[in-house]
Amino acid sequence: MHIMEGFLPWQWCVVWWIVALPCLMLGIYQLKKVLAADREALPLLGVTGGFIFILSSLKLPSVTGSCSHPTGTGLSTISFGPWITAVVCAIVLLFQSLFLAHGGLSVLGANIVSMGIVGPLVGYGVYRLLRDTSVNIYITVFLVTALADMFTYVTTSLELALAYPAETGGFVSSFILFMGIFAVTQIPLAIVEGIVLALVFKYIIALKPDILIRLKIFSEEKINAARSDI
Amino acid sequence: MSYKYTLELLTVIAIVAFCALFIYTSSTMSDAEFAGSDNVGSGLVAQLSGTPLENFQPLIPQWEPSSGEIESCLFALQAAVGGILVGGVFGYWTGQKKKA
Repeated sequence: MHIMEGFLPWQWCVVWWIVALPCLMLGIYQLKKVLAADREALPLLGVTGGFIFILSSLKLPSVTGSCSHPTGTGLSTISFGPWITAVVCAIVLLFQSLFLAHGGLSVLGANIVSMGIVGPLVGYGVYRLLRDTSVNIYITVFLVTALADMFTYVTTSLELALAYPAETGGFVSSFILFMGIFAVTQIPLAIVEGIVLALVFKYIIALKPDILIRLKIFSEEKINAARSDI
Repeated sequence: MSYKYTLELLTVIAIVAFCALFIYTSSTMSDAEFAGSDNVGSGLVAQLSGTPLENFQPLIPQWEPSSGEIESCLFALQAAVGGILVGGVFGYWTGQKKKA
């Protein structure tokens, strides 16, 4: 999903940085607040952030004949919300910009918006919608993870289509072309990522259910119901 | 019927299906190079803007790994940082659970 350095006009780089910066500041503020309230949240942040590090480093082949990587943002989104997730993603994307030439400093704002903000925001919306319903926790985790992943790539397509509208068909035509490259490639990856992270959530529930209840991620009844399922 | 390992089973099925899909794609698509979608996207940017790919220069100069091997090593390092975090915390929680 990285937009490569130099591939976005500077005006758009500024726009996406302006969108990203307040979200990052809010994320840092929330992170301080969460950790000050409960230090036991730190290991959970380590696990959820760790999966962003792992999964976003894996380039996997897909059905379109090109490779892409999962984002791993689903668990962090469910546990800490989209703003803290944006901070973790910014760290990963900064590492990739500085040491791997994947992305770049000028396009970092745009990449943070797609992977760290819009994807997790969509996932968080799904989580809030399903959290207090009778939908199984693992289905919720699957949907949040898969959709956060998919919408990261939809956003990248949108960012590029806005900067490079096609001569015929304009923005819409360009958006469809970019979606064909980014979003279609991502469908099987998003499904597998959703299933894998649902399994990881099962182990978090098995080992540390109390932190999920204390942080009000899911209700005690739902956590207990999920524990009896496993 | 026990559903204890349903998620584990689903994960294995998903990974096997994903691998099978890759094998099928690579055998049926003669032009499949499995380049990164980032690079394919950059190619489309060049095509849409009518600017040759080599004319896109970094706005902010950046360091590039000098070879594919070094790049792979750094990606592995990134995954290792994540692995240490995940493994460390799961180990810590398992220890806490045993103690309790």
